[in-house]
Amino acid sequence: MKKRLYLELENCIGCRSCLAACTQCGGHEERNRNYVYDVNPLVNRQTMPLMCLHCENPACARSCPAQAIQIHETGAVLSALVEKCIGCQNCTIACPYGIPKFDTEQNLMYKCDMCIDRSKDGIPPMCASVCPSNTIQWLSDSEIEAKKNQFNLNNGKWVTSMPFLEGETNVKVNLPGILQGVTKLF
Amino acid sequence: MTDKNNKIPFDEDNYTHNINRNNERKLDRRGFMKTLVGAAGVFAVSSLPWGAVAAKELAGLSDKKYPKQKITDIKSIAVGDAVDFAFPGEHDSAILVRLSENKYVAYQNACTHLRCPVFWDKKEEEMICPCHHGKFNVNTGVPFAGPPRRPLPEIVVKVENGAVYAVRVKRYEA
Repeated sequence: MKKRLYLELENCIGCRSCLAACTQCGGHEERNRNYVYDVNPLVNRQTMPLMCLHCENPACARSCPAQAIQIHETGAVLSALVEKCIGCQNCTIACPYGIPKFDTEQNLMYKCDMCIDRSKDGIPPMCASVCPSNTIQWLSDSEIEAKKNQFNLNNGKWVTSMPFLEGETNVKVNLPGILQGVTKLF
Repeated sequence: MTDKNNKIPFDEDNYTHNINRNNERKLDRRGFMKTLVGAAGVFAVSSLPWGAVAAKELAGLSDKKYPKQKITDIKSIAVGDAVDFAFPGEHDSAILVRLSENKYVAYQNACTHLRCPVFWDKKEEEMICPCHHGKFNVNTGVPFAGPPRRPLPEIVVKVENGAVYAVRVKRYEA
């Protein structure tokens, strides 16, 4: 039963539980790998979580000269392999969403890998399991299809931006107003 | 949109670039280098038994014992004559030269150049190899003419009750 991450952004209450969960997660060495953004800073209080969209055709992995970023069979784009990463930070530049973080001490890129040790066995990632407001959900494809049917996508595609910066992603996001072409991005 | 470089799956299954975890090369560059080093290590370790064999051989050379072997009776070899024999094995041809009443020398007579049989030239009083005219000093076995560079291996002889016996082969010292 393949499940995906689904972000229902309008649910976000800005509690930073996902950040805390990621920070506390084993092997993360007290560094979180996800973000909580202000959607409209100084205008309203709406926040949105973002971990990594796990692109089908990830710019970070394609830009990596050492092929340190690999795509797992589940579709998750893994964090940089410690033994391969050369610390060139190409991925941080290539990613259109600004996901990869860089550790200057270890000279290593680290990013969300969908908690691959959990999600490869069907267990939801830490952020999804702690989210109190159902913003980050762990859904099967049929459930996501049902979610998708709630929207009139004017391009018929489920992408993260219009016009999309990248191709399709494994993490499905609902972008209220944007996918419908009602709200302008900029 | 159609001319965008975003075909899925992106066709990059090649030796220089692969980002799919399941397409990871079994033998990447680092693995190849590790294999080389490992093979070198295996070769190095597997040559050790030969080293042990060689060490054993070298250690045992000085006191290699052969059963003493009768070469000839004193009566049947005149002073200045030579007789051929084989020592220690049946294919190790050797030569015994009687230089004076009580002085016998014996050498393994395979020439140290290309192993032709060296014979005793009574007239010139030297040992000659017929193939390339290598010449050996009969008293020491040391070559003094022709291609051979190393002395003939000397055989220690001893005279007992009217016969000459070969006892052992002197170890060759470079």
